[in-house]
Amino acid sequence: MRWLLRLYPAAWRERYGEEFGAVLDSQHASVGLVLDVISGAIDAHLYPQVFAQNNSQNRNSETSQIQKGDAMTLAMFQRCSIGGPKLTPDERRIASRLAIGTSFVMALLYVLLTKIYREAPAVQAVIWSAILAPNIINTQMVYLRKRSWLTHAIIVGGGILGMYAFMLAVCVVARRL
Amino acid sequence: MTQKNTDIADLADFGRFSEPALLILVSLAAEPRHGYSMTEDIEAIAGVRLGPGTLYGALARLEARGFIEPLKSEDRRNPYRLTALGERALRARLDSMLAVARAGQRRLASA
Repeated sequence: MRWLLRLYPAAWRERYGEEFGAVLDSQHASVGLVLDVISGAIDAHLYPQVFAQNNSQNRNSETSQIQKGDAMTLAMFQRCSIGGPKLTPDERRIASRLAIGTSFVMALLYVLLTKIYREAPAVQAVIWSAILAPNIINTQMVYLRKRSWLTHAIIVGGGILGMYAFMLAVCVVARRL
Repeated sequence: MTQKNTDIADLADFGRFSEPALLILVSLAAEPRHGYSMTEDIEAIAGVRLGPGTLYGALARLEARGFIEPLKSEDRRNPYRLTALGERALRARLDSMLAVARAGQRRLASA
């Protein structure tokens, strides 16, 4: 059962791993126990209390509480911002420009196609795809940063094409209703 | 808002860990304990056996808020003790629960 500890963040394991393991060893293996540990691991990733402790030198002082809150807010901001914390400033700029550029290109494509084909489902699917395409661009900048441009092209192109196919199916069904 | 009410809010903020956190505070009110000892004690007083995921989810929150603190230990089982802040939070929560229980009993008696 000790292998379940690997589901927890490294900082959490370093702080609680030994004693957690001792409690885990004392309980009979069951589905309920496994689910409890898994839900605890998810919680530890979503709400990293250990991170808060490491940033707190004196948790009873008001100043320390404010600093702790600032550090957590900064970490959350970095994780939620475009590109995420793993990107260099240059890579973030490229990701932002690619995302904005994709939106402009797809919007322009939508206007041109609408002028030619009017409100065909295939045209409507373009504008719906334009909403999520920048997210695909940003995601691939984070997770594929060390891969080749061919990999980028295949995954991003495949992702956008897959999304367009899905949106097209939705627009066709909606038109027939 | 008074300090007492702040403490109540703090425990309530624990979400699904609110009840396990309360049970841990009650367990530590008697004496410092390590994780295994807490699960045994909580099972004895409340009839609930906390899984390690739930126990340490609540423990981490209590420690982060300064309600409990670890004691130095020679073995891998770290004991924890209640802090003054934790004791205040526990008293506030128990007083609140007692007030609700009394009100409920009064209403049942007069029904």
